[in-house]
Amino acid sequence: MIILDSDIIKLKNCDPNLVKEVIEAGGTNAQMCFSCGTCTGGCPAVYAMDHTPRQIIRMVDLGIKDKIFESNTIWICAGCHTCSLRCPRGVEISKVMSALKSIAIKHGYGADDDPSGPAWYKSFSEVTMRYGRIFEPELMLLFNIKKSKNPIEIIKSMLKEAPLGIKMLKKGKLLLLPERIKGKSHMKIIYENIKRIKAEEDVCSVYLNKLK
Amino acid sequence: MKLAYYPGCVLPTSGKEYDMSTREVFSFLGIELQELEDWSCCGATAIYNLDNLLALALPARNLAISEKSGLDMTTPCPTCSYWLWKTQEEMIDNSPNKEKINKALKGTDLEYNGKIGAKHILEVISDDIGVDKINSKVIKPLRGLKVIPYYGCYIVRPPRKNPFDSPENPTSMDRLIDAVGATPISWDMKTKCCGGSVVVSKEEVALKLTYDLLKKAKMLGADCIITPCQQCNLVLDAKQVDVEKVYNDKIDIPILYFTQLLGLAFNISPKKLGLDKNIVTVNRLLNSLGLSSN
Repeated sequence: MIILDSDIIKLKNCDPNLVKEVIEAGGTNAQMCFSCGTCTGGCPAVYAMDHTPRQIIRMVDLGIKDKIFESNTIWICAGCHTCSLRCPRGVEISKVMSALKSIAIKHGYGADDDPSGPAWYKSFSEVTMRYGRIFEPELMLLFNIKKSKNPIEIIKSMLKEAPLGIKMLKKGKLLLLPERIKGKSHMKIIYENIKRIKAEEDVCSVYLNKLK
Repeated sequence: MKLAYYPGCVLPTSGKEYDMSTREVFSFLGIELQELEDWSCCGATAIYNLDNLLALALPARNLAISEKSGLDMTTPCPTCSYWLWKTQEEMIDNSPNKEKINKALKGTDLEYNGKIGAKHILEVISDDIGVDKINSKVIKPLRGLKVIPYYGCYIVRPPRKNPFDSPENPTSMDRLIDAVGATPISWDMKTKCCGGSVVVSKEEVALKLTYDLLKKAKMLGADCIITPCQQCNLVLDAKQVDVEKVYNDKIDIPILYFTQLLGLAFNISPKKLGLDKNIVTVNRLLNSLGLSSN
C-alpha cells in the first residue's frame, strides 16, 4: 500500500475536544469504538458515502474535523439506526452523525460544497417554529431557496415537485394554508428558553476550561 | 378504553388515508381516540440534527398537554412515537436533561412530569388489543392475498428499553396479516431503511434504497406491501413512479397502511379507509377481493 502525504494525520489538524463536543450535541462516546466495522457492514447507504461510518467514528476520536466536514457522509446518513442497534460497544453511530450535523450547521462547515443537507434541516425547523406544525408547500419552497441562490434553479426544482403536488392536491392530501397551533407563542417561548439554557452552558464550559 | 390521539404533522396532509383508516379501525375495535388538544410538531428526526434539547422539548409540550388530561397517548407515526418515548425516558431516568426539559417549557403554563407516555398504534393493536382479538373480529377474511410486511426503521429503532417487537426481526405485522386471513410473505428486508428521511435532501439515495425494497417485493410476488409509517409510505407509494423512471423498471405494487388492510378485513368500506387516496392504484387488489375503491 502506498501512503500518500495527504493520508498522514497531522496533529495540528486534530481537535482533541471533538469527542466531547459530539457528546454534548447529543451523540455518544466515539472512543468506545474498537473499529470492528459492524456499522459499515450494515449501513444501507454506505455505497454513496465518501467515508464509511467506521472511518467517521475513528475521525471523531482523532478529532480530524476538516476531513469529517469535507465528506458527504454525515449528510448521506438517513438516520436508520441499524448501526446503533448492532454496535457491540454501545456507540450510537446515528446519533453521532446527528451531532456532527448539528455542529456543521452551527458553524457553517461544508455548506458551500453541498448545501442541501443544512438547507433541509434549517427549513424544517423554521417552518415548525413558525406554525407549530409542518406546512409542506412552504417547507419545500424554503428548502429550494436555501439550497440555491439562483432563481432559475429554484423555479426548476419547484416545477419538478409540481406533478406530485398536483396529484396530492387532487386526492385531498395537501393543505394549501398552514394549520397554526393556538399556543403559537409556545414555539417562540421554547426556542428562546433553549437559547438561554445553551448560552448559560457555554459560559459554564468556557469558565471550566479556564479553571483547568 | 380511551386514548389521547397524537396524529403528527403528516397525517392531516399527505398521510390522510393513514389518519382515516386509523380512526375507522379504532372505532371498530371500540377504542375511543380523543385528538390531543392543540398538539404541535414533535420535531421528528430533523430537529435532532439541529439541537438535541429542542428535540426533547417539542415532544414534552405534547406530553404535558396529555398529562393534564390523564390519558395515555397513541400515535400512528413511528418517528413521533420514538421521540415521545425518548422524552418520557429522559424524565424517568433522571437524566441531566430532565430539569432542562421543564426549563425549556417555562412560560408556556405547561409542565411535564414523565407520568404519561406514548405508544405506537401497532403496539396498541398487536399487544394491548392482541392478535387473537383482531382475528375474532374479522368479518371478511382476506384469503389468497399475499402481503409483504415492511416495518421500516423507527418502529423498532433506535432500540427502546422494553421493545414491543424484535428490532432485528419484528413479527407483529406478520401475525396481523395472518390473523386477517391473508398470507404474510417472509423476507429479509423488513427493517431495511427506505431512505425516507433524506428523500428531499438526498433524493437519489432514497430512490435507490426504495428501489431495492420494491424490486425484492416484486420478485417475491407480493400483491401489496403494508407499512406502519407515513414516511415509508410516501417514498414507496408516492415516489414509486419516480423509482420506475430512474431505474426503467415497471413495479406497480400497491402500498397500504397496515390499518387499511385491517379495515378491509373488518368490512369497512374502501372509501372510508381512504383507499382512493393511495397513489399507486389499489383497484386490482380490491377487485380480487370483490370490492371497488368507491
